[in-house]
Amino acid sequence: MNDNWLKKNTFHFSEFKNLQLLVEAKQRKKLSISLCLPTLNEEKTIAKEIIIMKSELMSRYPLLDEIVVIDSGSTDRTMEIAKSFGADVYEARQILPHLKPYKGKGENLWKALYITKGDIIVYIDADIKNIHHRFAYALIGPLLLNDKIKYAKAFYDRPISIGKNRMRPTGGGRVTELVIRPLFSLHFPELTQIIQPLSGEYAGYRDIFEKIPFPIGYGVETAMILDIYNKWGLDVIAQVDLERRVHRNQDTQALGRMSFAILKTFINRIKALGIIDYKEEVYSEMIQYKLVKEEYTTEIYKLDGFERPPIIEIPEYREKFISFPKTGNLER
Amino acid sequence: MDTYLDKLPSFVDEIRSIKDIIITNILLIGQIPSPTFKEKRRSTAFLERLAEFQVDECTTDGYRNPIGIIRGKSRGKPPIFVVAHLDTFFEQEADHNFTVNENTITGAGILDNSLGVGILVSLPEIIRKLNLQFESDIVIAGVIQSIGKGNLRGIRHLLKTWATPIRGAVCIEGFDLGRLSYYSHGMIRCEVECNISESSEVEHRFKPNAILILHEVINQILELRLPQKPRSRVIIGKISGGLKHGIIAYDATLGFEIQSVSYKMVHSIFDDIQDIVDGTSHEYKVDLSLNVISNANASKLEYNHPLVKTTSAILKKLDIKPSSMSSESELSIFLSHKIPAVTIGITHGDHYHQRNSIMEIEPMYKGIAQLIGVIMAIDSGVCDE
Repeated sequence: MNDNWLKKNTFHFSEFKNLQLLVEAKQRKKLSISLCLPTLNEEKTIAKEIIIMKSELMSRYPLLDEIVVIDSGSTDRTMEIAKSFGADVYEARQILPHLKPYKGKGENLWKALYITKGDIIVYIDADIKNIHHRFAYALIGPLLLNDKIKYAKAFYDRPISIGKNRMRPTGGGRVTELVIRPLFSLHFPELTQIIQPLSGEYAGYRDIFEKIPFPIGYGVETAMILDIYNKWGLDVIAQVDLERRVHRNQDTQALGRMSFAILKTFINRIKALGIIDYKEEVYSEMIQYKLVKEEYTTEIYKLDGFERPPIIEIPEYREKFISFPKTGNLER
Repeated sequence: MDTYLDKLPSFVDEIRSIKDIIITNILLIGQIPSPTFKEKRRSTAFLERLAEFQVDECTTDGYRNPIGIIRGKSRGKPPIFVVAHLDTFFEQEADHNFTVNENTITGAGILDNSLGVGILVSLPEIIRKLNLQFESDIVIAGVIQSIGKGNLRGIRHLLKTWATPIRGAVCIEGFDLGRLSYYSHGMIRCEVECNISESSEVEHRFKPNAILILHEVINQILELRLPQKPRSRVIIGKISGGLKHGIIAYDATLGFEIQSVSYKMVHSIFDDIQDIVDGTSHEYKVDLSLNVISNANASKLEYNHPLVKTTSAILKKLDIKPSSMSSESELSIFLSHKIPAVTIGITHGDHYHQRNSIMEIEPMYKGIAQLIGVIMAIDSGVCDE
């Protein structure tokens, strides 16, 4: 097992604090950078994310070339608020409209590849309460300053909100420790060095993202790591400590559904790699039980685990991007 | 004066054009918890931000008040101070994450005084945007330990140790646009603590209750005959005590403030209350103590002082109706050092001291233009007479 990776490819955000240096590297390499914020009912946090990124990484230091919001059909005021603060806002279902629409974060990220123009794309969840521009520049930094690194992922301490106006200093990451880390330990021990494989913040070259499939739902982060690892190896991946991230806490049932989707994605990958052989197909329904008025009621969630193919296989995408390829220095 | 007064309305649009930077500063500084005596993280961020905006000098004084200096053209002119207090009323653990909408920002401490601090940090960028250069140095000071038991220690120390004369000062408060404070009432802020020992050696015929003892103290304070002139009042502001519903309260604390336009009168009322406390303690055989938490001298600029008149004209030029009120915060320390100063508010809002405190974004641009106007006025010499 390559256990040097943790030392060699783990960074702290403060190593990339010199924004002028990053801007110069970006200009020298003639690259453009897009920030994508996938949303679904994020009216409480979306404005902050846009304002801070725009102020610090566009107005003051021209590191980002665009901020794009891809929305899954919010029923609150997310889209109006995002527009009012100057982001380019799209509804996911209106992008490549001839394709059957799906709802999920992965769908938004995949469609963002078609909408955004950047050679580097930064994905940041839109529910971060303590958003800071380090969430973007610290993920861009390793890509600009290290020619080998093509994909950078965040990790952090994760205080969680516990009720109104109160915070608990540690917590979160339960699915990582209970699901992903045991699976990685069983099948890909090298990947256990990734501290928070499920973190929702990452940046990478378009050359990478366009060549991997995107599960439409929760499995997208797991799939991304496994596919990048299997295609290009661990050394193209970096992880960056962003210190503190405050986000909404999810209940155990929601985490159960998330784990189901992740397990499905994982099983699909290890089957495809020939690591494991299932005698029959796994089911696509997550079954949960709730006690309502002293009776258990069944709740069944259909989670197909549908995946979008690598977007480079989509003719419209090829037409738009392949005519003027940009360099991430990866073999196509 | 008219030359810069006429420019002020056009400043509003210029300031609005960098709203992303201004709001970002409010968020990045304001979301750091900063209860009194625990301002270190906010203070560090304040200095880092000032350094990022390339002020000419960035430092802390001996009391760790963070300070930035924008150098002026003239070496001979004393500096102009612009200050806002860094501490807020909310504890470290409270959620300080703000919510931004098209027209408002909501969150604990936003109006008192995270907005003011955010504007203070934005000042170098705003001055750059407006292409202004001043004769005097502009000293940007975030002062610590201002509220409550802090007793304005930060600003007291800053002014006590500042070696050179100061030309004039502006104190920034987030709330409310239109306020114009140029006088401070004399004030003593006190706490009465009542403790009844559970294993008291004192024989009580009836076991006293700390809450009821304070009730008695309050009643006696309310019976005091306060003069109409000099205008004076006692504000009963805080009370806490007891453990649970079915147990006699053994501890209770009462917080109040004595205010008067005459500090002599404040002292006289304080002496009366001391007598009430001593008498009650004696009568009920309980430990009752009166402690001073903070105090401020009565001081003021006259209404016809050029700084007050000019500030009033600046507000009117921006279609803001001036509303005079006293301020017992940083202003009182400037005035007691005979430094001409005013306190102004930046925007409108609601739920002033609550966790869901809310500020309006749009009026803030006028509030900032007003601040720039006052700095320009001082720089043009209104405090020099």
